[in-house]
Amino acid sequence: MQSIINSIIKNRNLIIYLLLSFISFNYLYNNSSIHYSGIGKIGTFISGSTSIIYSNINSYFNLKEENSKLIEENLELKKIESQLIGISNKSNISESKIDKTISAKVILNSINKNKNIIVINKGEFDGITSDMGVISSKGVVGVIKNITDNYSSIVSLLNTDLRINAILKNSSTIGSISWDGLDPRIVQLNDIPLSSSIKVGDTIVTGGMSFYFPKGIPIGKIEDYNNTSLEGYYSIDVSIFNDFSSLSNLYILERTDNEEIKFLLNE
Amino acid sequence: MNRELARDIILSIIIILAQLLIFNHMNLFGTINPFIYVSLFILYKTSYDKTYLIIFGFLVGLIIDLSMQTYGIHTLASITVCYLKEKIEKYSFGVNSILPLAMISGTQLTNRITYFLIIIFLHSLIYFSLIFFKLEFTLTIFLYTLINSIVNFIIIWIISKLIFDK
Repeated sequence: MQSIINSIIKNRNLIIYLLLSFISFNYLYNNSSIHYSGIGKIGTFISGSTSIIYSNINSYFNLKEENSKLIEENLELKKIESQLIGISNKSNISESKIDKTISAKVILNSINKNKNIIVINKGEFDGITSDMGVISSKGVVGVIKNITDNYSSIVSLLNTDLRINAILKNSSTIGSISWDGLDPRIVQLNDIPLSSSIKVGDTIVTGGMSFYFPKGIPIGKIEDYNNTSLEGYYSIDVSIFNDFSSLSNLYILERTDNEEIKFLLNE
Repeated sequence: MNRELARDIILSIIIILAQLLIFNHMNLFGTINPFIYVSLFILYKTSYDKTYLIIFGFLVGLIIDLSMQTYGIHTLASITVCYLKEKIEKYSFGVNSILPLAMISGTQLTNRITYFLIIIFLHSLIYFSLIFFKLEFTLTIFLYTLINSIVNFIIIWIISKLIFDK
């Protein structure tokens, strides 16, 4: 205690100087608008730069939570989108109803085989059944094949067994998408007759005439085409919007009318 | 001792009044206000307490601020000069600064000029920095400080001669 008092006495000049400086600065700050705004700016700069550091650190720790929030939000948007697609194409696909979408994370993925399979962390317990369509934020990914209680496998678009009904967005010409097993960025659009006009860059979307996907989900755009085939069909290369090597969050589309349609077909 | 103190107090009042009544209204070359009250800090005797000097500087600065509507700028410049006075004395006079009244007579002229100039320049620099208070005016601040310091130095030098030659 004595040493504290001693040091105060020893440094009394500095203490008095700082105290009086503070009083003077306060007087200046409160009365002069130039100094008020000048000192205010310095204050804003300091508080701004310290809080940005804090918020950067904080946001890093909250990334996981942020991520799941975004996924939820995405889900909502997907729902709205599918409803809107339903409204705008009412005449064509009033039969395809998306009741809900389920979000899932990719836990296993491959692109280097010719029958590629993706495994996700949602299964029967989460309401997943076989033949559900799977999309990502960029477009079509594949179709659910096998399901366990907690996991499901997806037949990827990059699987030579999968064929998906597709149309040219501009002309609504119907074709089907399949993969030849070579380039994981390119799939093939088949069954487009030579009579229809196409050009490089045309967007390909799902056609809606299958159990898997409603109409209008993007697949890719025409990269190149060849019209020298003797069979009367184009052979078209489509570059896919999805980057299959970096898939992480997927959405599974649940259609309630599948059973009804299947029942009708079986009748 | 008491007589000496009374004389110093009266002298201080005269200088402050001269600053308030004459020099505050004087605009040399349109912009320069001589701050003769700085002479009070320069001539503050080394035998008096340093703490009182800071408080004295605060009071004098406040009076000038109130009269010139400068909201604490003179006060800040004054207390800074008063706080650093001891260090400036040591720098200017070297060993002699320990002796009471050392600077008044019997010191080297160059030492005295250095001492006067440092205090006046420092005071002007703080004053003009706070007046302009923007980085883009750095050159202007230095220019004003330089001109003001020279004028102040001449006036304060004359005042100190008038006081101590008597």
